[in-house]
Amino acid sequence: MRDPSTATITVDRPADFDEFWAAGLADCASYGLDPVLTEMPTLSTSTVVVYDVSYVSFGGLRVAGWYAVPRDGTAPYPGLVTIPGYISEPTIPKEWAELGYAALAVAPRGKLRSNAVFNPGYPGLLTNNIVDHHTYGYRGFYLDVVRAVDLLLERPEVDGSRIGLAGSSQGGGLGISTAALRPDVIKAVACGAPYLCGIMDAPTLTRSYPYEEINEYLRLHPKDVDRVRETVAYYDGLNFAPAVKAPTFIYLGLEDDVCPPETGFALHRVLTCPKTLRTYEHCAHHAGLPGVMRVVEAFLAEHLSLADHLKPVI
Amino acid sequence: MDFASYWNAVDDELAGVAARPVLEPVPARTTAEATSFTVRLTSVGPHRIFGSLSIPAGEGPFPGLLQVPRYGSVNNMAHLNDRSRYVVLTLMHRGQRLSDQSFQAAYPGLLTLGIDDPATYVYRGIVADCLRAAEFLSGLAQVDRVAAVGNELAILTAARRPSVSAVRVSDMVLYRAMEARLRSSHYPLEELNDHLRTGSAAEALEHTLSYFDPIRHARSVAARTLIGVEDVDWYAPLMEALPAGESYEVTHFDGTDADFYDAWLAGQLGVPAMSKFVR
Repeated sequence: MRDPSTATITVDRPADFDEFWAAGLADCASYGLDPVLTEMPTLSTSTVVVYDVSYVSFGGLRVAGWYAVPRDGTAPYPGLVTIPGYISEPTIPKEWAELGYAALAVAPRGKLRSNAVFNPGYPGLLTNNIVDHHTYGYRGFYLDVVRAVDLLLERPEVDGSRIGLAGSSQGGGLGISTAALRPDVIKAVACGAPYLCGIMDAPTLTRSYPYEEINEYLRLHPKDVDRVRETVAYYDGLNFAPAVKAPTFIYLGLEDDVCPPETGFALHRVLTCPKTLRTYEHCAHHAGLPGVMRVVEAFLAEHLSLADHLKPVI
Repeated sequence: MDFASYWNAVDDELAGVAARPVLEPVPARTTAEATSFTVRLTSVGPHRIFGSLSIPAGEGPFPGLLQVPRYGSVNNMAHLNDRSRYVVLTLMHRGQRLSDQSFQAAYPGLLTLGIDDPATYVYRGIVADCLRAAEFLSGLAQVDRVAAVGNELAILTAARRPSVSAVRVSDMVLYRAMEARLRSSHYPLEELNDHLRTGSAAEALEHTLSYFDPIRHARSVAARTLIGVEDVDWYAPLMEALPAGESYEVTHFDGTDADFYDAWLAGQLGVPAMSKFVR
C-alpha cells in the first residue's frame, strides 16, 4: 500500500533558475500591460459587473480573461486571480465577485480566447517544446498568470495589498509559481491537487493524463529524457516553492490518480511560508470538493481581510 | 415539429450523410496493451468530427466504450485502464478542439448557441455527432457490445441507437435545465441566465431544451443505465422514466465513486474492474 506522505520526490534546481525567470519577468516588463476592459452587460447581474479583459504578456502576446467586480460600492476590494485547470476554460468568476472579491479569471495563452498565436492544442501543452526550457510552451503560460496579478495591481477598485490566488490542479501548480514570482504582492494561495510539482516523478506514479503525455513523448523520443528533465526543472513547483511568502493552503486527495498525492506532500515539505495542509481519504483529483470549497473561502477571507459580514461561516 | 418528428428528421439527415471514416495510427499512444488511432468522421452539416480510438491487444471481440463529449473545449484522453479492456472511442463533438475546422465553440456560449429555435440549436448537431460515433463504434469488427458513458448525451445516444447496451452517467447539464439555472450562478447553466438577459424569451428556451432533456428520451433507453445522483429527489423523475435504470448516490469521495463507476460498467460488460489509482 502506498504511503504518499513519505515518498521521496526530487528535482534538481538549475543553477540559473532565478536568472531564467528574472529574464522572463523583464521581458514582460518591457511591454506595457495595455489592458482593455469591455463591460459585458448581458453577462453582468444586479450584484456583479463583468468585463471581457485582455492584456499584453510575455513576448508581447495579448491574452484574455474574465473580470468580475462587486457592484456594492465598497471598493477597494481584495483581488483574486483564478487559474484554470489543464482541460478547463476559465469561467466567469461571478461567484467570487458575489463573495466580495474583484476576481480575474485568466485564460493563459493556448486557452480558447488566447490561442490566436500560440495554440499547442490538446493534448500537447505539457510537451510543447519540452526539450528546451527557453521555448517550452509553459514559459509564457506561467508568465501570463503573473501578468494577471499585475493587471489587478493597476485597477483602482482593487486593494493591491490584498491579492490572492486560487486554483486547483494546473491552477494549484501555477498558484505556487505565481506566488513565487510576485512574493511581495501575493498574500494568500489556495492550492488544490497541485499539478506541475515533481514533474518527472509523477508519470511514474500514475497512468492518467496529463502526465501520461510525458510518457507518450518519451515513448517516441527516449533519448530526450535528460533534456526533458532539464527543461521541466525550470517549471517545477518544488523549485518555486521556497520563494513563496504568502500563507498557502494545500488540499490533496489521497487517491488522486491525476496529480499523485506524493507530489503534493513534497510541495508542502519544501514550502517555507505559513502553510496548511488538508488531506482527504478516498478522494481523487477533486481533493475534497465540493466540501473543501468552504474551507478555501474561509482561508482566503481570513488572509485577504474580507469584510467580516462577507466571511463564510464554517 | 413534435418530438418524434424532430428526432426522426435528425436520424434521416444523418442517414443521408456518409461517415467516410479515416483512421490514422498514433504511435506515441500505442502500448503493449492497446493500439491507438485518430478517427475522422462526417456528421450532419456536414461537419467533420474527430475521435480518439484505441483497440486492446489480443484476440477480440471486445466491448466497445463510447465516451461522449463533456461540456468544455476538450475531452480527457481515455485512461490506459479503459484502453486495455475496451475498444474506446473518445468523441470530440463539433466545435470542440480537433473537431473545429468549420466551427469553433465558445465557452461560455455553446450552451445557448441557436437555442431560440430547436431547428437551429447547436445540440441538434452535437447529438447527431454522438449518434454517428455510436454507429461507427458498433460497426467495428472488433466490437461485440457497446456502452456509452459520460453525460446526458449518453442517454440520448442510447435512446436512438439500441446497439448501446449499457449507459453510465455521472454528470448532466441538460436535465431540468431551466429549473437548475435558478439554483446558482454556476456555469455552464448560468449561460441560460446570460442568454435571457439578451432579451430572449424563457418560453423559447424551455421549448428548445425540452427536446434535449434526457427525461424525454429515457423511456426509449433499453440499456442498463446507471445514473450518479447527488440529490435523489431531483433525479427521481428521470429514474422513474428509465426502464432499466438504477441510481448511485455519490459520496463525494471521488476515488470511491470512480471505483464504483468502473466496477459497475466492468460488470455490465464482463471485464475485470480496475482502479485508476495505482495502489
